Amino acid sequence: MKRLLTLVLGTVLFASSAALAQTPSDDPAALKLAEPDFALIGLPTNLRLPKFGSSFRVTHRFTCPLNEDNAASDLFGIDCGAQIGLEFRFGILPNTQIGIHRTSNKTIELFSEYSVLRQSAGRVLDVSAWFSIEGTNNFQDSYSPAIGAIVSRTIGDVAAIYVHPIYVNNTSDQPAELVDDNSSFMVGVGARIRILPTVYITGEVAPRTGYKGAAAGSTQDAVTHASFAIEKRAGGHLFQLNFSNSFGTTMAQIARGGPVGNDWYLGFNISRKFF
Amino acid sequence: MYRRWLWIPALVCACLSWAACDEKLSTVAGPTPALEPTFSSIQHDIFESTDSSGRAACINCHTNVGRNPSGGLNLVHDLAYDQIVNMASARKAGAVRIVPGDPDSSYLVQKLEGKAGIVGVRMPQNGPPYLTDGQMQIIRRWVQIGAPRN
Repeated sequence: MKRLLTLVLGTVLFASSAALAQTPSDDPAALKLAEPDFALIGLPTNLRLPKFGSSFRVTHRFTCPLNEDNAASDLFGIDCGAQIGLEFRFGILPNTQIGIHRTSNKTIELFSEYSVLRQSAGRVLDVSAWFSIEGTNNFQDSYSPAIGAIVSRTIGDVAAIYVHPIYVNNTSDQPAELVDDNSSFMVGVGARIRILPTVYITGEVAPRTGYKGAAAGSTQDAVTHASFAIEKRAGGHLFQLNFSNSFGTTMAQIARGGPVGNDWYLGFNISRKFF
Repeated sequence: MYRRWLWIPALVCACLSWAACDEKLSTVAGPTPALEPTFSSIQHDIFESTDSSGRAACINCHTNVGRNPSGGLNLVHDLAYDQIVNMASARKAGAVRIVPGDPDSSYLVQKLEGKAGIVGVRMPQNGPPYLTDGQMQIIRRWVQIGAPRN
């Protein structure tokens, strides 16, 4: 957490004044070097989708921790099962995208994102509104709507910094009678830094209040979602290798946090733009 | 001009309308669909009733009606609460049947879950069937919130 904040702060402080003076292109189809994808690792970005454009993403989180004793014999979790997510998003109107994300624990998330403000010469921030609702058991059991904003600042072609204030209602997938708080407010913080022309490092954390999930086999709160990654852009693809302490890729899953305090898991994301 | 903003409140309303769609407790409670994390419900649905899975009612043995209560634990109506909450086990020295706020340390929970270290067998004595994970989750929740006499 401290390292991530230092990284973010360092990027802001040491970015050149020339880079700061740049503003992103207003064409949603144009490549934004500082914001090449629609998600950081689990949290969304402000990247706009052109009208009738689309994007597909696969998320994959191996479920054996990297820090277990026989991690090497499991090839660092690759021999284990995984929580897999498939996502498709579509630009229905200018500045407006909708999408569906299904994870292999039978959760389906429907989401929409509307770009409210664009970073420009007169505006220092990108702001998008986020609405989503997810349901467990193939959208049949426990529903968790989420509402919030994605606030970001791109720094030239070098970096982008994100803050995600998000309220998740009915975060717990248990009945309300069995938990103290059943909703969460989280403030995701993330950044993506372009370290080579097509290579990025990315990180995100999502501290929250209210319902904080339940650690496996105990009555303790689950750990705060945190993740970092290295990624490679190749044309319309983005290949990401990530390391996370949770498997969450939907808003409620991220708010629930990770299962065990010190366990970290290998994963990857692959995304492809169609525009 | 304003129309482009209208979809935002519409979506907010649509999202929040789903907020009431929580998972039902009855889906967790399984063979005792009316079970709730209250003492009166646990007494009625667990202590005093045989459920649809065939799990025997506790008061078949833990009663003073026509017999001595097994294990010195009497779960008949009006006595059960005082017999379990903050009461020492008659069989295991140092164990407390229900420790309000601490389901893991509650000996009754340990007996129902068949934890290591219990004296005698897992309850119910003639199980399986035992209480389901969902039933135990509800009982644990009642203990966790302080085992109120509700």
